[in-house]
Amino acid sequence: MAAAVAMETDDAGNRLRFQLELEFVQCLANPNYLNFLAQRGYFKDKAFVNYLKYLLYWKEPEYAKYLKYPQCLHMLELLQYEHFRKELVNAQCAKFIDEQQILHWQHYSRKRMRLQQALVEQQQQNNTAGK
Amino acid sequence: MAASSSGEKEKERPGGGLGAAGGNSTRERLLSALEDLEVLSRELIEMLAISRNQKLLQSGEENQVLELLIHRDGEFQELMKLALNQGKIHHEMQLLEKEVEKRDSDIQQLQKQLKEAEQILATAVYQAKEKLKSIEKARKGAISSEEIIKYAHRISASNAVCAPLTWVPGDPRRPYPTDLEMRSGLLGQMNNPSTNGVNGHLPGDALAAGRLPDVLAPQYPWQSNDIAMNMLPPNHSNDFLLEPPGHNKENEDDVEVMSTDSSSSSSDSD
Repeated sequence: MAAAVAMETDDAGNRLRFQLELEFVQCLANPNYLNFLAQRGYFKDKAFVNYLKYLLYWKEPEYAKYLKYPQCLHMLELLQYEHFRKELVNAQCAKFIDEQQILHWQHYSRKRMRLQQALVEQQQQNNTAGK
Repeated sequence: MAASSSGEKEKERPGGGLGAAGGNSTRERLLSALEDLEVLSRELIEMLAISRNQKLLQSGEENQVLELLIHRDGEFQELMKLALNQGKIHHEMQLLEKEVEKRDSDIQQLQKQLKEAEQILATAVYQAKEKLKSIEKARKGAISSEEIIKYAHRISASNAVCAPLTWVPGDPRRPYPTDLEMRSGLLGQMNNPSTNGVNGHLPGDALAAGRLPDVLAPQYPWQSNDIAMNMLPPNHSNDFLLEPPGHNKENEDDVEVMSTDSSSSSSDSD
């Protein structure tokens, strides 16, 4: 009975930890947040760096399927390098990463626009040819 | 004549004696027998020649020589027969040797072919093993296509990896969780249960606020109860040189002060 209760609290604790780590690892996709952490010196803390290394388990497919923002995994990998962590103290670095991320984010909509334009042009051509 | 003949006899005898004792090979024995015969026949002819001249009786010696001659002849005939047999045997030996050579070359040919076959098989086995390894690898990483499609749908529909089609600079949505989303998530709520709606950003972000349910929905774990026990995070140890509660405190600081920082960076959210 006591063991079952203990298991339950353990289970609940583990579930909570799962959700917390899920949220935190996805927050790492936000370059502004990373800049924030860098400026407050969290990246200099050995324990924090170890924690980042521990978070690499999210790369496994069984865990990765819960991620909504998969870009966070790439940022997590980059964060393993000290050079990257040091660079993130600069706001320009974070801004650059932010811009690049947004531009990449828009890749498919740009592509779609191009395709749509091409389609429209073609239809116009067909119309004029038809007339 | 007699002196010279006896002298010759004495000279020849040791030669004859030597011939009988030292020749081991058939050829030497044959040759020595021939020599003896030659000697004996010469002696006999001399004795006959002498006896014709001298008419002295040397019948004892004649008989002796004749007997020796006959004996030697007999030996010679035997040796000839022996030589013939030996010749036949030698011939057979040669035939057999030829056979042996032929078989030997056959064996060597087979050996070469066997070696080639072994090499080919070894290569084939190696390649097959490599293939098996890669099959194992592929099977290990196999994910059902349905799952992949579901996941792709999930991350695209929420605009997490692909910008919404109506996005213009000024839209607060981002490919990463914004600070609003971060604060309204479990991490933020854990440490700031009462600060929901306090921050100056929220009134301006009515649009974002309307999307709160969208934000919460994809973080499936606490909505669905299907986390297996083995899905939970790996070792909960104290390797980080810090207690977990202390770690959460960091998040608290992060989350509270985030607002002032993001105001400078996401200036387009006015």
